[in-house]
Amino acid sequence: GKWKNKERVLIFSSRGINFRTRHLMQDLRTLMPHSKADTKMDRKDQLFVINEVCEMKNCNKCIFFEAKKKQDLYMWLSNTPQGPSAKFLVQNVHTLAELKMTGNCLRGSRPLLSFDPTFDKEPHYALLKELFIQIFGTPQYHPKSQPFVDHVFTFTVTDERIWFRNYQIIEEDASLVEIGPRFVLNLIKIFQGSFGGATLYENPHYQSPNMHRRLIRLSVAAKFREKQQVKEVQKIKQKGSKVLIEGDPTEVVFETPAEEKPVEIQLVKPESKPIVKDKKKPRKIQRKKQKKLFRTEA
Amino acid sequence: QDGLKLCLSEFRQQLPWLERLDVTLGQVVDPVSPSASSKDAVDPENDFQREMSFYRQAQAAVLDALPRLRKLQVPTRRPDDYFAEMAKSDQQMQKIRQKLKSKQEAMERSERAKQLRAMRKYGKKVQTEILQRRQKEKKNMLNAVKKYQKGLSDKLDFLDEEQTLSQGNKKGSASQRMKKGPNAKRRYKNQKFGFGGKKKGSKWNTKESFNDVSSFRPKVAHNKGPGKAGKGGKKALNKRPGKRARQKMKSRAR
Repeated sequence: GKWKNKERVLIFSSRGINFRTRHLMQDLRTLMPHSKADTKMDRKDQLFVINEVCEMKNCNKCIFFEAKKKQDLYMWLSNTPQGPSAKFLVQNVHTLAELKMTGNCLRGSRPLLSFDPTFDKEPHYALLKELFIQIFGTPQYHPKSQPFVDHVFTFTVTDERIWFRNYQIIEEDASLVEIGPRFVLNLIKIFQGSFGGATLYENPHYQSPNMHRRLIRLSVAAKFREKQQVKEVQKIKQKGSKVLIEGDPTEVVFETPAEEKPVEIQLVKPESKPIVKDKKKPRKIQRKKQKKLFRTEA
Repeated sequence: QDGLKLCLSEFRQQLPWLERLDVTLGQVVDPVSPSASSKDAVDPENDFQREMSFYRQAQAAVLDALPRLRKLQVPTRRPDDYFAEMAKSDQQMQKIRQKLKSKQEAMERSERAKQLRAMRKYGKKVQTEILQRRQKEKKNMLNAVKKYQKGLSDKLDFLDEEQTLSQGNKKGSASQRMKKGPNAKRRYKNQKFGFGGKKKGSKWNTKESFNDVSSFRPKVAHNKGPGKAGKGGKKALNKRPGKRARQKMKSRAR
């Protein structure tokens, strides 16, 4: 058939990403045959430059990974000319190369997209669902795609976050094995324009990673301060228990100073005392004999 | 909120389902699992439960989508001769297979070691039992042979089967005690130490014999039971035959 649905997705990142993010990006590129790669973007360029890059590459969708502080990974999903865009915080990234993911699928086969019923309940989720479908769904009859449908992407909303999983369909009775990368998206904001524009929605449950880290540090500090305070209180208590007794003025009444003796300086050595034998204590040898007798008797 | 809806309506593409291939469903209701299959019960911290909920959602989607695809004549099963590039390279799959195999082997090895240990214990027990039985049999056989030699029993049954010692009633004595032959204690000692005299190294104060209180008769021990024939019988019970009589009995009974 003819390839009508012309969707092209540009997948690229900023500088300063770590190996895991790089592998995730590569995995997404292999799984989505309608994707294009681009070089790393410099941080100093503004975000709306991305729109121009996309136009140059003739893409109408974009996945942009942004790494901050070498720790936090943000992902932008956008419909480039004028459409909405969304920024997410990415967590819990596991790539295709992990040995626990035992499934495999054809490179370029079209995925089945499975969504949670929650996606239909809220308007922002509905918008996100539409975005996901257009970005992650491989167009039919794409030249690089395979005609079979042998894997399924699941998007689930749990704990205010969107969980992504990729399963391989083994049997017709829906036995599945996990293939692919897995990650968790934490929605931050949805914008009206591509990489800019009015904020359509802001996630109230979102806490920036900086804030998160700060809270942890504060709680640790608070614990430490509490301990110190307790110690101080204990010290004060100990000191405070000693009652200060005032000096008794009547104490001095009975004091009589001793008579002063004249200072005698001895010039002659005193006579040595005579050695008085203790008759009650037997002599050493006799004592030993006594001890022996005592022992034999016993 | 309205802005969102407006945006969505602008952005939404009206494409046939075949292009999009999206399914929005809940999970497969599992009749087996006792826990609630509703989404609210899923605790995000409980990893296993969470992953199972994702799995079930994917399953539900697949079960819904595959018939539809088949109707639209989109192939879902790969024919066996269709070789194409896979998302993961063969090398990667090999690594995965190796890891799985090594895990399985480790488990099997530990299982085998456990079984061996159990078998060894059991085997030892069985072996000791068999040895003891053989020794007993040998002893009985020898006794029976000796009896035959001494002319007490002219039966050659012991050659065929096990023989129980049968005390011949040579003495038709009125006394019950005489009828029995030697004393129970004497009989026990004969049986234990045999006819060859006291065997060297036979333990007779073992744990089992010590704990064995079957031969304790409280009435006899406390001298409370009725005598054989009242008072007179009591005397007769304790009467011990003379030396000559005893020797005769001894030689007869063996």
